[in-house]
Amino acid sequence: MIEVKNIKKNYGRREVLKGVSFTANKGEITCLIGVNGVGKTTIMNAIMGLTPIKSGEILIEGKPLDKTSYEKITFIPDAITMLPQMKISDAMAFMNDYYQCWNQKRANDMLKFFRLEKESRISELSKGNRAKVNLLLGLALDVDYVLMDEPFSGIDIFSREQIAEVFTSHLIENRGVIITTHEIHDIEHLIDKAVLLDEGVILKEFNAEDVRENEGKSIVDVMREVFHV
Amino acid sequence: MKNYVKLFNFEMGRFLKGYLALVGITVAVQVLGVVIASRSYTNKINKYVYHEGMAIDEFLSQFGDMSMYAIIHSLWIQGPILFCISVLLIYTLLIWYRDWFGKNTFIYRLLMLPTERINIFFAKLTTIMVMVLSLVALQIMLLPVLNKVMSSLVPEAYFMNLSFKEMISGFDVLTILFPFSFSDFMIHYGLGLLAVTLLFTAILFERSFRLKGIVYGILYIALSLLIIFSPVIMIAITEKSYLYPLELFYLELILCVLVFIMSILTSRFLLNKKITV
Repeated sequence: MIEVKNIKKNYGRREVLKGVSFTANKGEITCLIGVNGVGKTTIMNAIMGLTPIKSGEILIEGKPLDKTSYEKITFIPDAITMLPQMKISDAMAFMNDYYQCWNQKRANDMLKFFRLEKESRISELSKGNRAKVNLLLGLALDVDYVLMDEPFSGIDIFSREQIAEVFTSHLIENRGVIITTHEIHDIEHLIDKAVLLDEGVILKEFNAEDVRENEGKSIVDVMREVFHV
Repeated sequence: MKNYVKLFNFEMGRFLKGYLALVGITVAVQVLGVVIASRSYTNKINKYVYHEGMAIDEFLSQFGDMSMYAIIHSLWIQGPILFCISVLLIYTLLIWYRDWFGKNTFIYRLLMLPTERINIFFAKLTTIMVMVLSLVALQIMLLPVLNKVMSSLVPEAYFMNLSFKEMISGFDVLTILFPFSFSDFMIHYGLGLLAVTLLFTAILFERSFRLKGIVYGILYIALSLLIIFSPVIMIAITEKSYLYPLELFYLELILCVLVFIMSILTSRFLLNKKITV
């Protein structure tokens, strides 16, 4: 389980996270929802130790993040994390070099699934294909938790469909996923837990299945109620 | 350790083309300089000695003989050296900043590697030092070669063969780069290593605290320099020295080692606790 406990974060004098707490379980898809600038990416960065927090605590399987955590949890930011001059094969070799949990077979399967050429240079890929490579590099790690920041941001509809397919595949099965996205339509039916954020606070955290079954509402319906739109 | 070696190898690979370009420019410009200077000198010999009948001794007393000493002070030799120094100084900053400001956000990947983050620091530090030392080694090997090239172009009667030490004597930058004793080598390159380490720590302050970090970085460097030079400052203030020169040297050495360790620990703390992507 990933536990985010009352984290606070300032950028200068501006408080971007004002005591955010939630948990994300293995085998569940948790979606952080909110407009731009509410602190979704900051939460992701904080979980991965990529930005310091002012106060609060983040635990992964009951322990604070350390170097070994990166063999259990991976983060797929909205921009590719490899050098532009690298070929996809170089990027895969790089991952294989450093991560014990790198699964080469899965990486090759994903290459085929996304119809990517191993020898293509990252700089020459379209935005959609770069997003797919980014996803491949993250999901080919045999980790327990996957964090994805805006995986559908700015990419074409066909790439979006292909990426959305990942969420129904074995690539996600049994893993804990935390995802931030504006465009939840593509994956709304797959989300287990939704966390609605605004101005650095959690407005509502709910089990999507319960809301669907008991109240007959979709996540978007709840968002409309909470965000008053 | 294994990850440090891999990261070092990776960092070297990232600047390999740039480094080979520096090697190519250095060799090409210096060889060209020697050829042009030698040709110019032999043209004078042709003009005055062979066409106007000037005696060799008179020519030598008027124009002097030809040796590497004559060209080593020229831009042909100094230019590439200063160019390499400038590029490596700029690269000392770029080696960090390009991971944040490049087209892709490679710093995310570096910081999420399952290894101690200080390995990233050591890999970058080693890369800079290895590049500096290998360019110095190249220059050490190149000077005797240039001497040979010159000796093959200038008639023997007009050419003075110089040893490596004679070639570079009187040229301050070269005597810093090519110290004559092992202890001088350790001092010069040890101070170089310390300077790069302090600069890296200052960069990490900036990357951790952004605008405030620039101030912290400058203060950090100032504090480090104050610690290093405190014995000398004390002597200057009190106008008395209670230490023999050798004791002062060892005291300075200890202070430099302490500042180096302090810088590594500070960088480790910043990388683990304060760095921001």
